[in-house]
Amino acid sequence: MPAGEVANIYPAKEQRVVEAYVGEYASGKSEVAINRALFLAAKGRQVTIADLDLVEPFYTLRPIKKVLEAKGLKVIAWDATKATGLGEAGTVILPEARWVLRNPGDIILDIGYGVKGARSLNLLHGYQEVKELRVYAVANISRPVTGTEERIVEYIKSLGRVDGLINNTHLGDDTDVGTVQRGAAVVSDAAARLGLPVIFTSVEEKLAPAVGRIDERGNPVFVLRRYMPGAFW
Amino acid sequence: MSVQPQMPAVWRTETKPHKFCPGCGHPLVLKALGEAITELGIQEKAMLGCDIGCSLLAWDLFNLDSVQTHHGRTVPIMVGIKRAKPEVITIAYMGDGGGYAIGSQHLVNTAMRNDRVTVILVNNIQYAMTGGQMAPTTLPGQKTETSPYGRDVEATGNPAQGPEMVAAITSEGAYVARGTVADVRQLKRFIKKALENQIAGRGFSFVEALSLCPTNWATNAKETWRMVEEEMPRFFKVGELKVPGEKKEG
Amino acid sequence: MTDKPIQGEQRVFMTGNEAVAWAALAAGAQIMYGYPITPQNEIMHYWTRLAPMYGRKFLQTEDEISAGFTTIGGVLAGVKAFTGSAGPGNTLMQEPMSMAEMMRLPTVMVVTQRGGPSTATVIYSQQEVTMTCYGGNGEGFRIVYSTSGQQDLFDYTIKAFNTAWKYRFPTFVLGDGYQAKMREPFVIYDPELRGIEMVKAEPYMGNPGTPGIDRDPAHLRNTYNMEDELLEAVRQIGAAYEKISPEVVEYEQFETGDAKVLLVAHGIVSRAAQGAVKVLRQQGYQVGHFRPITLRPFPGVELKAAADKARHVLLIESSYGQFKKLVTDGIYGCTTPILSYLKPGEGITVEEIVAEAKKLF
Repeated sequence: MPAGEVANIYPAKEQRVVEAYVGEYASGKSEVAINRALFLAAKGRQVTIADLDLVEPFYTLRPIKKVLEAKGLKVIAWDATKATGLGEAGTVILPEARWVLRNPGDIILDIGYGVKGARSLNLLHGYQEVKELRVYAVANISRPVTGTEERIVEYIKSLGRVDGLINNTHLGDDTDVGTVQRGAAVVSDAAARLGLPVIFTSVEEKLAPAVGRIDERGNPVFVLRRYMPGAFW
Repeated sequence: MSVQPQMPAVWRTETKPHKFCPGCGHPLVLKALGEAITELGIQEKAMLGCDIGCSLLAWDLFNLDSVQTHHGRTVPIMVGIKRAKPEVITIAYMGDGGGYAIGSQHLVNTAMRNDRVTVILVNNIQYAMTGGQMAPTTLPGQKTETSPYGRDVEATGNPAQGPEMVAAITSEGAYVARGTVADVRQLKRFIKKALENQIAGRGFSFVEALSLCPTNWATNAKETWRMVEEEMPRFFKVGELKVPGEKKEG
Repeated sequence: MTDKPIQGEQRVFMTGNEAVAWAALAAGAQIMYGYPITPQNEIMHYWTRLAPMYGRKFLQTEDEISAGFTTIGGVLAGVKAFTGSAGPGNTLMQEPMSMAEMMRLPTVMVVTQRGGPSTATVIYSQQEVTMTCYGGNGEGFRIVYSTSGQQDLFDYTIKAFNTAWKYRFPTFVLGDGYQAKMREPFVIYDPELRGIEMVKAEPYMGNPGTPGIDRDPAHLRNTYNMEDELLEAVRQIGAAYEKISPEVVEYEQFETGDAKVLLVAHGIVSRAAQGAVKVLRQQGYQVGHFRPITLRPFPGVELKAAADKARHVLLIESSYGQFKKLVTDGIYGCTTPILSYLKPGEGITVEEIVAEAKKLF
């Protein structure tokens, strides 16, 4: 895909964005989803982000709901203080989440990990009628289960519907340009085998200038700021 | 014009809306239970125990004295209450994990003792609250977080037949049934008979309710109902299994 | 299918629970027995996904009592077996672990501490120290490693199997919910490539030959008739435990040489203490940190030596004093005043420790 011309990253004003982020445990789905939502909101768009993490009890966007709301997002998620418990997991869906697709404007869905994969979309009323819906799988090749082209292909196939891949390869604070570019290569090869586009390569803001506007395979670079560490401690 | 749903008198409005997922079967079972309690006039002396898991979300649902217990230990706590104060009506509310796995030894022994408590067990074929792990009632081939390739019955056995086991080991005077949220009227009849059994002091009473969990099944409304109306009854037979002295329904 | 799960060394980005699953694979664990409880479920989720690829097995048991006893069964059969739990599940594990203690069985258990007592929270604490070290009706003849992050969880889970099978005491990896869920880069490796001696498992029962004919039968028990029999048995276990303690005990010290205030902490709180030492030293405060890594056996002698030199000991834990009891018992006779910063069930930051330490100057 030509750099910067991916219609999805820089959507036209009248084009509605409805994106679901799926992927392996700890692949970076929530971080990418949050950043994507904030990116759209910063352009003056009306954005709703919904937490559909149904397996992980507390490392979700629930604890930072207020932070995200303060930045102009509508957040459909349980208040962490109301649903991390009563002492056991608290992985229930907020009723409003079922109808999230009826919200006007853009919608970003953070779908948790698990055997359900993209099938969690079944929980959203009317998802099949939403033509704009795109399901993007986030992959970090620093995680062995999605560490090679073969493994990514196998993993993506197990998810159900996937419309594109996102290279979110990183090693936390130890990430360097090489890490990102290696990920770009492997994810791009896997995407080619699957017949799917690579939507973008996400890079943390401090490193992004060193990578440039496109990665070594010509995928656009999407700049990330870390919000999820605030969900902890 | 707004239409208020009719809720049983024992429903506590201050703690609503409840936290159950949209499409969950628990509220249906609990409404039937609430109506049974109201109709039998036992609000004053009924006590509710709930387990760890989604049943836990019922702990402040009713205007009833309720206690949240440890996983699988709801039955012995309600037995303890009943033995100390026989005039109380004790209801142990739990899921298939709490009842048939970690709580199974208590269920078995309470059934064998014919303890005058009522157990209501909600069966949604997996451990829902913790994110969807395999349970004793998980269906063959069903994918869960701890059976990611599908339940292998050769290795892990077939879906647990709880009411059948209870009926086989309990004594004359006990009431055992399996209902379903697909037929709430029948479920409520079974629950009422179970409570009446305790009120009359005849013996142990046990009702399993086939229930819904679209959240962990990842099913839309149509598929969710198909699961409970067609798929689950293939493995779990709905009806009464043991009725003191009388003819059985189903 | 029986390829090595980790070839060489790899820099990865994972959570603590995953580190445990991969380490168990790398250590040659053949089977995991487990029961769902937050926050360790991902150990099972990953093991069930990866195990079939490497010919390993899994059983989800009916509860933690069973998970502990089935793990004992695996070990008796001569196979590297492990389990994991937390909170109320750990409470249930104490019955099987008492048996492992009496019979010196090399069980490996990973604990991801959550709030307590009872159901409490599913998130974090350091409130399972007493239970993991001295639970059940035992004397604490256990080996307990308190980890402080992903790399530790990986390293010490591998070590736990070797320690358990070499010294034959039930061995525990004591982590917590934060470590279980935190994501960090660290290195996973094939232990043999690093020169780590991988101890073999051996059967306690089912050795080759017909019992009574080719060999003596294994007659194992954990019960005795009279008091003096028991006294002898427990003394023997105790003597064996004390003999291996110097080889097993582990700790770390950070700038304790001239420390006027000695921070004492374990597990993930040690990371904050290490951070606090850096900040305080930069500001000119003479602060050091002693981190016990094994809580059993406890490095009491070494800690006392460090504490003797300081003016104050500042003890920090996410519990109401469970670690403190180990410390005061371990350094008995030390006259340095001990101040405690106790925060049951909640994380402790570098800033908090810095503020508390400054009060002592």
